[in-house]
Amino acid sequence: MQTRRQFIVRGGKLVAAGVAATAAGPTIFVRDATAAGQLKILQWSHFVPAYDKWFDPFAKEWGAKHGVEVTVDHVGFADVVPRATAEVAAQAGHDIHMFLGLASAFEEHVIDLADVVGTLEKKYGKQVELARRSTYNAFTQKQFALSDMWVPDPGNFHKAAWTKIGMANGPATYEDLVKAAPEIKKAMPQIQIPIGIGLSQDIDSNMAVRNILWCHGGSIQDKDGNVVLNSPETLAALEYTKRLYSVGMNQAVLSWNAASNNQAFNAQQTAYILNSISAYRTAQDNKLPVLDNYFFTPALKGPTGIQLASEHVMSGYVVWKFSKNQDVAKQFLVALVDASRDSMMASKLYNFPSFYGAAAEANTPVDKKADAGAAWIAAQCNKDPFGSSPPDKLALLAKALPWSTNLGYPGYGNPAEGEIFDTFVITDMFAKAATGALSPKDALAEANTRAKQIFEKWRQKKMVGGGGKDK
Amino acid sequence: MSPAPHAGDTLRRADRRLGVAMLAPALTYITLLVALPFLLALFLSLTNSSAGSLDFSFVGLQNFRSVISNPVFQRSLRNTFVFTLVSQTVVIVLGNVLARALMKPFFGKSVARFLILMPWAAPISLATLGWLWIYDSTFSVINWLLLVIGWLGPGEWYYWLGDTTLGMIAIITIHVWRMLPFSTVILLAGLTSIPNEVREAAAIDGAGMLARIFQVEIPIMKPILIVALLFGVVFTFTDMSLVYLLTRGGPYNSTHVLASLAFQDGVLGGDVGRGAAVAIFLVPVLVVLAVVMLRASRRAEVI
Repeated sequence: MQTRRQFIVRGGKLVAAGVAATAAGPTIFVRDATAAGQLKILQWSHFVPAYDKWFDPFAKEWGAKHGVEVTVDHVGFADVVPRATAEVAAQAGHDIHMFLGLASAFEEHVIDLADVVGTLEKKYGKQVELARRSTYNAFTQKQFALSDMWVPDPGNFHKAAWTKIGMANGPATYEDLVKAAPEIKKAMPQIQIPIGIGLSQDIDSNMAVRNILWCHGGSIQDKDGNVVLNSPETLAALEYTKRLYSVGMNQAVLSWNAASNNQAFNAQQTAYILNSISAYRTAQDNKLPVLDNYFFTPALKGPTGIQLASEHVMSGYVVWKFSKNQDVAKQFLVALVDASRDSMMASKLYNFPSFYGAAAEANTPVDKKADAGAAWIAAQCNKDPFGSSPPDKLALLAKALPWSTNLGYPGYGNPAEGEIFDTFVITDMFAKAATGALSPKDALAEANTRAKQIFEKWRQKKMVGGGGKDK
Repeated sequence: MSPAPHAGDTLRRADRRLGVAMLAPALTYITLLVALPFLLALFLSLTNSSAGSLDFSFVGLQNFRSVISNPVFQRSLRNTFVFTLVSQTVVIVLGNVLARALMKPFFGKSVARFLILMPWAAPISLATLGWLWIYDSTFSVINWLLLVIGWLGPGEWYYWLGDTTLGMIAIITIHVWRMLPFSTVILLAGLTSIPNEVREAAAIDGAGMLARIFQVEIPIMKPILIVALLFGVVFTFTDMSLVYLLTRGGPYNSTHVLASLAFQDGVLGGDVGRGAAVAIFLVPVLVVLAVVMLRASRRAEVI
C-alpha cells in the first residue's frame, strides 16, 4: 500500500514527465525503446556533411557484423538537448544519445561508462584531459558520457587584410585585435566588421567569450566548483571587450547565429573569427574567392599570458538507463573510438580523436600509442589530404591540444556550467558590457547573481561541489 | 408498484446521454491537452524539477521570487505586452483596409487575394528563414535597398536583429505579416454580411465615408471585430516560435517574450521549475481574455 507521501512523489514524477514531454512536444517525436537486437543512435547533423555519409554506413555495417539492426537518426545541433529532455521525460527513445558539449545535466539517467573508458584506456592509453573533464563528474565520480572526438577552435584570419597592416601572420594576443581593428578599417573599408567575434546567443559566441574571460585570468568556477566569476579579472575581460567592440565590431555580432561568422568571413566581410575549420572547408568546397586569404592562428594570449581556447565541439555519447541494449551500446562506442582515424578523415580533419592512441598503428605498444597517434594526426595536418594550399595550412591544429580546454575550466564540466552555457548568462554579460547596455560592473553583478543561483540549485541536487568559497 | 416512465422522460434521458456522448471528445481533449498540462505546470513551478531528472522537491514560491527579480524576465514581460498590443492594433487596422479593398471589384483581385493569404499558409519556420536573410545584419536586403535609394548614407547601416528596438520591430513586422490574412478574411466576412440597404440608408441620411465606417459599419461588425482581435491576442500572447527562430531572444536576452523565455529556461536550460514559473505568468492575462472572448462570442453568436 502506498503512503500519501509515496503517492505524491510518484504522481509528481509522472507530472514532471508529462510536462517536459509537453514542453518539448512541438519539435520532438519520441519512439518506443528498442527491443533486443536493435540499436538506436541519435546523432547530430555534422557541420561537415561528409562525416554523416561515413558515420551512418559505418554504424550499419558494425551492426550487420554483430547481428544488431542499427538505426541512426540525425538532428540539428540546437535540437540535441530538447530531444534528450523529451526522451528522459518519456523514458523511451534511442539507446545512445550524442551531446555536443556538456551532457552532465542528464547524469542521473545515463549509465556509468567507466568500464568503457577503462577498456579504451587499456587499448589506447589515456584520453585527452579536456575530454575527461567534459564527460566525468568529479563530484559524483561518475563517467556519465564518452567522448570519441573533440574539435579545435583556432582563430581564422584574412591574410591580405592583416598583411596590409603589417601583421602578415595574424594576431597573437587579444591586444593585437584592438590595435589592428582601426587599421583594418582604414586599409580595407569594404570589410564591415574588422573583428568578427560573436557576442550573441549562439554556441560560437558562448565559446568565444569564455576564451576572453579565461585569457584575462577569470572563470565562472574554480577547480573545486566555487563560483568565482565576481573578480577583477572578469572585470578586466569585460573592459577589454568594451574597448574591442568600440574599435572593431558593430551590432551585427549581437545577432549572429552559429553560421553567421562563417558567412561573414567567407564573404570577406570580417578579417578575424574564432571557428573550427568547417567554414574553411565550405570555402574550399565552393571555391570561394576568400580561399587564398584563409589562414589560421592559435588561441590568442591575454594580458596574463594565458593562452586558452574552448574546444569548439566535444562529443559526449551517453547510454540511457532506459535502454534495453546497454551492452550492445557500449560495444558500439568502443568500436567508434577504434575507428578514430576514419572518423577524422571522414570529417576532413574536423574531428580530433579524444583517445590519441586510437589513431596509432594497431601494432604499436600501448604505452607508445598516444605519441604515435599524435604523430599520425600531425602528419595529416602538416600535409592536408583535402587540398589546402599551402599543404601545411592546418599544421597548427596538430599543436592545438595545449591551448585547448573544456567548458568549466579550470574545473570539470558540470550541470551548472551547462545551464549557464545554455541560457547565455556569460555571452549576455559580455554583450551588455561591450555595448554599454550596462556598465561592466553592473553586467558582472547581474551575471554573478544568476550564476550563483544556478550553482546553488545544482548543489542542492548534490551534483555539483564547492560553495564554501563562492565570491 | 412504481409508475411507468413517461415517454417525455425517456426522451430527455436519451437526449442527455447523446449530449454527454457528443461532448465527451471535446471534454477529453480539453482535459488532457489543456487542463492537465496547466495543472502540471502549476505544480512544477513550485518545485526544483530539472529536465534531466524526474526527482524533485518542493521549493514553495522560490522560483517565482527568483524569476520576478530577474531583469530578463521583467523585460520579457514588457515585451510580451508590447508585441501583442502593437501587432494586434496594426493587424486590425490593416486588416480593415485590406478587407475594404477586397470588397471592391478590380483587375487582378483573385491574384491579390491569393497573395494576401499566402503568409497564413506558409509554415512559420520556412517563412522565418526567408525573413532571417531579409533582416541579416551583414547582408540585409532591406539595407541594400535603402542604400540604393539613398536613405542610408555611407557607413550607415541598420542592424535589424542586433539592436533591441529594431529587433522588436522586426519581430512585430513578421507577426503582422503572418496574422494579417486571418484578420482580413474574418473582417471581409463581417463586411459582406452588412446588408447594402444599411449603407444606402446611411448615405441617404447624409453620412460621409468616415461616418459610414465609424458610426455604421464598425458598430455592426463589433462582435466580429472583437472575436478577430481576441483570437489574435491569444495567439500572439502565447507564441514563442517567431522569437525563438528569429532572434533566439537576443541581443542579450532583450527580445524574449514570456513563452520563449520559458522555453529557454525550462527546456534548453533544463530548469523545468523555473520555466514553468515563467509560463504561469501568462495565465492571468489569458484567463481575462478567455472570459472576454466567451462573452463576446456569445453576444456575436458565432460560437
